Amino acid sequence: MMTIVLGVLEEGLVYAIMALGVYITYKILDFPDLSVDGTFPLGAAVTVRLMLAGFHPVFCMLAAVAAGMLAGMVTGLIHVKFKVRDLLSGIIVMTALYSLNLRIAGRANVPIFSQETIFENSLWERIIPAGLAPYLTAMILLVLVLLVKVLLDVYLKTKSGYLLRAVGDNEVLVTSLAKDKGAVKILGLALANGFAALSGSVYCQMNGFFEISTGTGTIVIGLANVIIGINLFRRLTFVKATMAVVIGSIVYKACVSLAIALGMGASDLKLITAVLFLIILVVSSLGKTGRPGKTGMTGKSGANGEKRRGGKAGKEGAPHA
Amino acid sequence: MKVLGKGKKRMALVLVVGLLAGLLAACGTKETKENGAVNTTSQNNSNTDDQNKEADNSDESNTPAEGEEGNNTSENDTDTEGSVDLVEGSFTIGIGQFAEHGSLDNCREGFLEGLRQEGFVEGKNLTVLYDNAQADGGMASQINDNYIAQTVNLICAIATPMAQSAYSVARKQNIPVIYTAVTDPVLAELAGEDRVPVGEVTGTSDKLPVEKQLEMIRQVLPDAKKIGILYCTSEVNSESAIAEYKEAAEKYGFEIVTGSVSTVADVPLATDQLLPQVDCLNNLTDNTVVSALKVILDKADAAGKPVFGSEIEQVKNGCLATVGLDYIDLGIQTGKMAAAVLKGEKKASEISFEIIEEAAFYGNTAVADKLNITLPEELTKTAAEMFSEIAE
Repeated sequence: MMTIVLGVLEEGLVYAIMALGVYITYKILDFPDLSVDGTFPLGAAVTVRLMLAGFHPVFCMLAAVAAGMLAGMVTGLIHVKFKVRDLLSGIIVMTALYSLNLRIAGRANVPIFSQETIFENSLWERIIPAGLAPYLTAMILLVLVLLVKVLLDVYLKTKSGYLLRAVGDNEVLVTSLAKDKGAVKILGLALANGFAALSGSVYCQMNGFFEISTGTGTIVIGLANVIIGINLFRRLTFVKATMAVVIGSIVYKACVSLAIALGMGASDLKLITAVLFLIILVVSSLGKTGRPGKTGMTGKSGANGEKRRGGKAGKEGAPHA
Repeated sequence: MKVLGKGKKRMALVLVVGLLAGLLAACGTKETKENGAVNTTSQNNSNTDDQNKEADNSDESNTPAEGEEGNNTSENDTDTEGSVDLVEGSFTIGIGQFAEHGSLDNCREGFLEGLRQEGFVEGKNLTVLYDNAQADGGMASQINDNYIAQTVNLICAIATPMAQSAYSVARKQNIPVIYTAVTDPVLAELAGEDRVPVGEVTGTSDKLPVEKQLEMIRQVLPDAKKIGILYCTSEVNSESAIAEYKEAAEKYGFEIVTGSVSTVADVPLATDQLLPQVDCLNNLTDNTVVSALKVILDKADAAGKPVFGSEIEQVKNGCLATVGLDYIDLGIQTGKMAAAVLKGEKKASEISFEIIEEAAFYGNTAVADKLNITLPEELTKTAAEMFSEIAE
């Protein structure tokens, strides 16, 4: 039982980093960014390439983030400067990255079993007692994910972070503040894809190889994580949206793992994912339409109003675009 | 107040559903565990605890070996049809297959047959968990995570990405991995240059007998100059096979012309482009290209040019001929390796990976007639199998 929990935790945490990126684009910017399908393996490709060239794993990760941000900027530029629709610009970049990733990695499948990674290196071997070794991967991931989450939280509290949220909620407002909403969008996309690439970099280090097919469907996983997380915790105001995304990511992987354990094949899993999506979305939209209608129209008790305001204040962490 | 109540209710509902799902899962795993316990009368190995499991593993590798050795040597040549002496104990293995594909399915079938011949019969003393990743790399690692959680005795991984993923997960738990249909285990870093495994991971390679294939093509088409090969850029096995073809081609007076695709949808166009430049086509074991074999055959037929296959299934489906592998045989060979590991005779790390040496000739006379080509008698004489019709 412990192994499956650890497995789920590891898989969930790796994808949580990417999901935080998807949270920026999908929830904050209201931009359906498909380029993560390309930037996730891009991170992995850059990592294996540099690692085989002898660079330190941490440097490889930073380089992966830089590459991902660059790709995100390209998506943004295509959308903002050439006025290509959001969905399309993502698709264009994703498609281009498929070829680029193959070029960068050199082959469709590159193993790094013999390389030092952030999970397996001489330092850990020296300082980590053998009893802790099975938990090492999960612990490193936990630290990494929390670090990334806190950085994102802090960033969202800065002036630039507020602008990012404003673009998603009300573009006109941003323009009236004499700020360039296009530049903000590009920045948001760069950040999101930086996260996706970091996730890919960590993923390939954890698994010990780069494989081009791991990128397919990343966006679906990311969206699932975000939607599950946000909707599970939307009533619990003390859970920050970013935390909700991280937990949602683990919950999603737990569901997948459960489905496999119950004997469902990969061929059925996509359908199950879709049904899961639908249930969560329907349940949450029922909540949305039922509530304001009643309280808003009758507006009877002050207590109700207060509760609603309380709810809204809490939601600020998770602005609904 | 009402509002909050509703929200809470909904929350509660979600939580309850989650809990139910959890319970269901627990029951599910329990069931399998119980099943295991029922079967394990002679060998109490249904421990759930990891550490116990590890201890158990080493236990297993010792005890059956002691008890079985005499038995094994005596049942060396059990015929395939007859009854086999069951190996004592109860074993659970996980078979992870990367994609749905005729050759890979044959590998799996052969693998189970190989195990059967060595006394591991599914449903009797062997529980088989089978999953297919449908060519999704992310899925592969979750499948293997699940096998580890179910504390299988051994993982059989079919195709390269599956093998790497299985090894990556299993090495932490010391569960042996036996792979098959990995073209180049050295390139995949599953074994060193000397064929010695890097850990508890070994198996069989489905490396193509390139030289023999070229020699055969030369015999069938004495005047041909250019061979066209289609491959998918995302399949690492194909690239290494092409490199080998290019290297060996000169020796037989051929020139290799390649056409690359990235999806099945690209195959028709790439075939149209490649056909006029070449005298014949040669298939690899490229999953993407083989998936679109029908299209390639139709176009080649129209141009009157033969298509050579790389394994028996392709010849059955309308390729002219091949000197290739029988994936069932490959599976059987792999199954026997797995049996040795399960019995505890050898550790996976002590077995070098194996390559099928004797590739055989397969031909299709119906295709030959259609193309007005006569297959040389020296080839058909030694053929392992000749097909006289094209399978639909």
